[in-house]
Amino acid sequence: MRHFLLRIEPVIWLLFGQGLLIGTMLLTGWVLVVGIGVPLGLIDPAALSFDRAHALGSNIIGRLVLAALIVLPLWKGAHHLRHLSIDFRGAERDVVVAPILYGIATVASLLGVLAVARL
Amino acid sequence: MSESKKTFVITRFDPDKDEVPKTQEYEIPVHEDWKVLDAINFIKDEVDPTISHRWSCRMAVCGSCGMMVNGEPKLTCKTRLSDYGDRVIVEPLANFPVIRDLVSELDGFMEKFQAVKPWVIRAKEEAGAVSASNPPKSSKGTFVQSAAELAEFKQFSLCINCMLCYAACPVVANEPEFLGPAAIALGHRYNLDSRDQGLDERNEVFRGEGTVFSCSFANECSEVCPKNVDPAAAVNQAKFGAVIDWATSLVLPRPGASKEGGK
Repeated sequence: MRHFLLRIEPVIWLLFGQGLLIGTMLLTGWVLVVGIGVPLGLIDPAALSFDRAHALGSNIIGRLVLAALIVLPLWKGAHHLRHLSIDFRGAERDVVVAPILYGIATVASLLGVLAVARL
Repeated sequence: MSESKKTFVITRFDPDKDEVPKTQEYEIPVHEDWKVLDAINFIKDEVDPTISHRWSCRMAVCGSCGMMVNGEPKLTCKTRLSDYGDRVIVEPLANFPVIRDLVSELDGFMEKFQAVKPWVIRAKEEAGAVSASNPPKSSKGTFVQSAAELAEFKQFSLCINCMLCYAACPVVANEPEFLGPAAIALGHRYNLDSRDQGLDERNEVFRGEGTVFSCSFANECSEVCPKNVDPAAAVNQAKFGAVIDWATSLVLPRPGASKEGGK
């Protein structure tokens, strides 16, 4: 398992790096607009009426952006939590912790992609 | 110049007598413009000559006087005493075996440096024996490097081997075999050098167990570095290099790719 984790590390680190970028920049803006701006009336709710939001999210570029917004931060979170666990004297338990976290990220990514595909 | 008194709690360890390190307190008069190292030197010269500590240049270039000051790795010749209260705790650098008092063991650290091949790797026929039949690469007999090419790696070449980054690194604390920030920054410095051709060899080193991908992005190495080398940036760039190396190895045959399969 240790050897396998080391072999896939470049791929996961790449997902982590992209997730870090998207999670801190795009996702923050997304939450500000969709989660805070529109509900509080700071942004005209008509801007995200169902028809407009659906049109935005269901074209190919919209789907790609939504999928990236969901999938990449998941891997960033899983990888960060794994290394946090190692830093707190968890090198021994890593062979258990890493597969659990990456497993959650894999399942959640698939569900996210499925949800975006069905929009 | 005003004088005040401060108490120094210094770690004492004599391998012939002690099982575990103990501490000893010294209350001494200090000048306000003293660095922490000045106080330790004063104690050694005037109070207790049995204290052992390393220091040399007193101007933050030799990298000898790294110690834990109030729990943080510091170059003691660069650390103002006025930044601390009446009680200053001085310990040997964390994450290293202690030889005596404030002196730590360097051997393992030096081995890690050698592992990253910190020299310009270049085909022998190009770099080596110059003769009539084998003229030097340039008219001056050296490999010419532009100012821009130097700027690529200069930051990573400013390391003074003070080991503060190893004392600060949570990965070094947990996995003593981890290559560590300074060694990775040093290897990366040669990877960025326009005269060097050892990228493949060093990427083999960087992709093994206990190397760049063991880093957990705490960034403490860059926080404590007294020369602003930014080893964390080197580690991340080395990771990116290893990722690119891995990705191209999927589509392009390259030296070392066959070795990878046999591991």
